[in-house]
Amino acid sequence: MFDDIITKSKVKSPWLYHLNTGSCNGCDIELISILTPRYDVERFGIKLTGTPRQADIVVVTGPLTSQSKDRALKVLSQVPDPKVVVSLGSCPMSGNVFKGSYSIEAPLDRFVDVDVSVAGCPPKPEAIIDGIIKAIEILKDKRG
Amino acid sequence: MEILLGLFYVLVFPGLLFCFAIGLLLLGIDRKIVARMQKRIGPPIIQPFYDFFKLMGKERIVPNKAAKKIYIIAPVIGLISIITIALFIPIDYFKTFFNNYADLVVIVYLLTIPSLAIIIGGASSGSPFGGVGASREVVLMLGYELPLVITLLAVGMKIGRLTNTAATFSLINIVDYQIKNGPAFLQWSLIPAALAFLMVIPCEIGSTPFDIADAETEICEGTMVEYGGILFGVYKLTQGIKIFVMISLFIAMFMSGIIPAVSSSIFVNSLVSIVWHMALVIVILFIAVSLLRATTARIRIEQAFKFYWTYPTALSLLSLVLVWAGL
Ligand code: SF4
Repeated sequence: MFDDIITKSKVKSPWLYHLNTGSCNGCDIELISILTPRYDVERFGIKLTGTPRQADIVVVTGPLTSQSKDRALKVLSQVPDPKVVVSLGSCPMSGNVFKGSYSIEAPLDRFVDVDVSVAGCPPKPEAIIDGIIKAIEILKDKRG
Repeated sequence: MEILLGLFYVLVFPGLLFCFAIGLLLLGIDRKIVARMQKRIGPPIIQPFYDFFKLMGKERIVPNKAAKKIYIIAPVIGLISIITIALFIPIDYFKTFFNNYADLVVIVYLLTIPSLAIIIGGASSGSPFGGVGASREVVLMLGYELPLVITLLAVGMKIGRLTNTAATFSLINIVDYQIKNGPAFLQWSLIPAALAFLMVIPCEIGSTPFDIADAETEICEGTMVEYGGILFGVYKLTQGIKIFVMISLFIAMFMSGIIPAVSSSIFVNSLVSIVWHMALVIVILFIAVSLLRATTARIRIEQAFKFYWTYPTALSLLSLVLVWAGL
């Protein structure tokens, strides 16, 4: 019974952690916009936390610059299980306009398992919410 | 019988189970009110319960650099001491035998323990952000303790004078006096003290304009930076119960005895006063916490300190001087 409550709560209260790996700030602004009164994802229980230790969903933006790669991987390993990694924007998917640069390490899925990718430069808030809802479905089946 | 009753008090009614429910519920009501004030739909009222149970299911991580025992035990000590205060505060006609030991001085001491637990926990987590958060929490404590203590002194002295004793610090005397003679906030010399106490509440529970010690946008949740999983859940629960305890203390000191005794049986009277108490708690939560949280942004640490050592301190001192002058 207790397990049922915990499983249900997992779906109802996913906390986001926002990890910037050298993004141009476009995606970051769009991510914050989903918390504003217009889109209000707090109605799903979603909350932005300041520390990876409390996160359930990690949202990664940016093309993973060489400077930030090690640090980003370290932060991702600090997130307790069960966790879901969402890559936001075209940058972590392919490198986007920075592709071929000597200083970026994208795509992100060379280093970690990415569960959901939201494409766009930057993606629309509706697309981000859709991606996060998909991430919550994946989170449901993960075990701690 | 006595022991059974004591166990019931500790574990069920004003104690553990009730505190668990009301603490998380008040956090949820606060979030819902703020959301509605910002024209959002907001999370369901039972959202903090989901958060708590989810945190229970998370992996438990104790950082390598942390002082392990202190790191684990600090939030638990905070929770225990806040529940102890909840046992001590009488709710109008509802009194337990714990109330006989309830003393404003004991409550002031116990109220510092959760904050101290946060400071120790944050400092022991081995993260620089935790250290910064802990130092900010210390400064905040210095700030709000002063007006809080002066307020309690003023109330104790006033009720003491009215009952022709020296100052009384026993909460049960204060509540009994108000039940007989009407609430204390009608004594106009105590109105500044009541206002000062209302200003202390948001800082004591660390809600928005004064959530400087765990500012998630600048110092990554400050003292809570390494806490995740159930230990963070315990911390959140402590915060919720603290809301209840602070507002209950306010009601016990200033607003007891508004409703008259409805019947001669103590049981019915207690029940009515508990329901009334809950309604009052929500009203004061709205005034003192949610309204402020929805309309203000976080201020800097020295601004908060300056604020507490000027306006609330001045108000509570004014009250103390008025009472001392016999008004
Ligand atoms: S996807 Fe576009 S908007 Fe987002 S970080 Fe990359 S360049 Fe900027």
